[in-house]
Amino acid sequence: MEQANPLRPDGESKGGVLAHLERLETQVSRSRKQSEELQSVQAQEGALGTKIHKLRHLRDELRAAVRHRRGSVKARIANVEPNRTVEVNEQEALEEKLENVKAVLQAYHFTGLSGKLTSRGVCVCINTAFEGNLLASYFVDLVIQKPFRIHHHSVPVFIPLEEIAAKYLQTNIQHFLFSLCEYLNAYSGRKYQADRLQSDFAALLTGPLQRNPLCNLLSFTYKLDPGGQSFPFCARLLYKDLTATLPTDVTVTCQGEEALSTSWEEQRASHETLFCTKPLHQVFASFARREKLDGSGLLIDCFHCTGNTSEK
Amino acid sequence: MDETVAEFIKRTILKIPMNELTTILKAWDFLSENQLQTVNFRQRKESVVQHLIRLCEEKRASLNDAALLDIVYTQFHQHQKVWDVFQMSKGPGEDVDLFDMKQFKNAFKKILQRALKNVTVSFRETEENAIWIRIAWGTQYTKPNQYKPTYVVYYSQTPYAFKSSSTLRRNTPLLGQALTIASKHHQIVKMDLRSRYLDSLKAIVFKQYNQTFETHNSTTPLQERSLGLDINMDSRIIHENKVEKERVQRITQETFGDYSQPQLEFAQYKLETKFKSDLNGSILAEREEPLRCLIKFSSPHLLEALKSLAPAGIADAPLSPLLTCIPNKRKNYFKIRDK
Repeated sequence: MEQANPLRPDGESKGGVLAHLERLETQVSRSRKQSEELQSVQAQEGALGTKIHKLRHLRDELRAAVRHRRGSVKARIANVEPNRTVEVNEQEALEEKLENVKAVLQAYHFTGLSGKLTSRGVCVCINTAFEGNLLASYFVDLVIQKPFRIHHHSVPVFIPLEEIAAKYLQTNIQHFLFSLCEYLNAYSGRKYQADRLQSDFAALLTGPLQRNPLCNLLSFTYKLDPGGQSFPFCARLLYKDLTATLPTDVTVTCQGEEALSTSWEEQRASHETLFCTKPLHQVFASFARREKLDGSGLLIDCFHCTGNTSEK
Repeated sequence: MDETVAEFIKRTILKIPMNELTTILKAWDFLSENQLQTVNFRQRKESVVQHLIRLCEEKRASLNDAALLDIVYTQFHQHQKVWDVFQMSKGPGEDVDLFDMKQFKNAFKKILQRALKNVTVSFRETEENAIWIRIAWGTQYTKPNQYKPTYVVYYSQTPYAFKSSSTLRRNTPLLGQALTIASKHHQIVKMDLRSRYLDSLKAIVFKQYNQTFETHNSTTPLQERSLGLDINMDSRIIHENKVEKERVQRITQETFGDYSQPQLEFAQYKLETKFKSDLNGSILAEREEPLRCLIKFSSPHLLEALKSLAPAGIADAPLSPLLTCIPNKRKNYFKIRDK
């Protein structure tokens, strides 16, 4: 029943009057603050308003300048080629140029070594190939800042990238890239040969192909006549030169008593030569062809076999 | 089948959670398809285990088969071990590495067996050219303890190997020697890098954690890539300090890249430095001896946590190079001394 009525005249409780005074005080300070805020807001508004005017003016000036430029360019073109369709032709010509450039950049992949500038240096792409087959691509992102360093890369872990970088990166970047290209292309080539042997000539292998990550040590047993009675050959190919796709050391051995016969010895020696001089899958391709031509697959003349492979 | 072998296989199978059991048994490739089909995997685990042990007995499982099962289990549960990283080096002018798997395995086994008569060594190769080696240690007089083996994961034709840290530290030098000699290296050194996540360690050591490369075929120009702020979300929302936020995003992206960070659980800094202070005459500044303290940052995913510090406003960008150099320097243990 006792409601806070600020208009009650009698001071039944001093609290009532004092409270009323307090309320009036806060009202006054509030309205003072509001008017202060209003003033500052108005000042800000004024400042922003002038800023807007200035910016609008600047915008109009720039628009006029652009229009003027466009007009003069058009006039110049119109003077040279009085042709209404000249603008459309320009655009077409530019698009054609763009397509050409894109195609050239893509074609760079076929050179084996291409790159793209990055914010900190260059990202080099090495596309490996062997015998005209495009194989895997590897990237090296280089930071062009003294000292040069490799930011990140996709080169396989068993390629001695750190060694090559230690030798050449600081002194001769070209040499570094070409050396790396050599290693990667050779690795891709060796891997290609081993993969082809496993996939295409599994019938001639009598056991699994033993290989290591770099594909620089291959060990396998094979027979010239898969179903026949002859004894298998054991071959061990070492690629001590990591920049080469042909082995440096080849050992072919023949198990069984017939190892002593001269015909087997001749065959064995000829196989060794073949593995040293021809890519692995090509040697096996010649074996497979020989098997087709010569049903027995036993006695084969040394000169005959080299004659066969040189046909390819 | 030996009783100890049976017990070992039983305990290993009991560790395997039911939902992984068929996968692991298939990977083990010891029991045939037909044999596995006779097992009812819906029974209680004890019955399944007993049935499997009977099948292993039928096939006369050897200690080596049991060790292989242990390797397979560990390969599926790599995170249960903490892995250290070792780096080997060759002498100058060494021949090209013609790695021969058979030679390596024989040499490794021989060296360990010559030193300790009783040791079980098992190998398992994986597709990524990694060799998993399991060694159960014994002594001249005691049989190998199959329940505390050490695992080594060696990437052939690289200088790096990962070893599970074990409590039997006295065998570490011998293990290092065996690995070095068998792989035709000269020296082995432990790197200051350790984690439970073998994949992340591999990514850091081989610098394979960032596999995005700029080519002419990539079609996302830099400006289009969202800075993660989504500034155009709603026109009624005004982002104050937009410039600062963009700067932080840019620096974070330059430092940490767009790729997912390798997973580490901690970084530890051992400081031995003198106290540096602006106030002259402070007691600590007068100390001749350097202060020693150890600071350890822990997280379920430390590098992602560091990456999110500046964007979250908790730290200034750029972060201290001591924190951001972790994947680049391949370390998460640091010793900092006054220069």
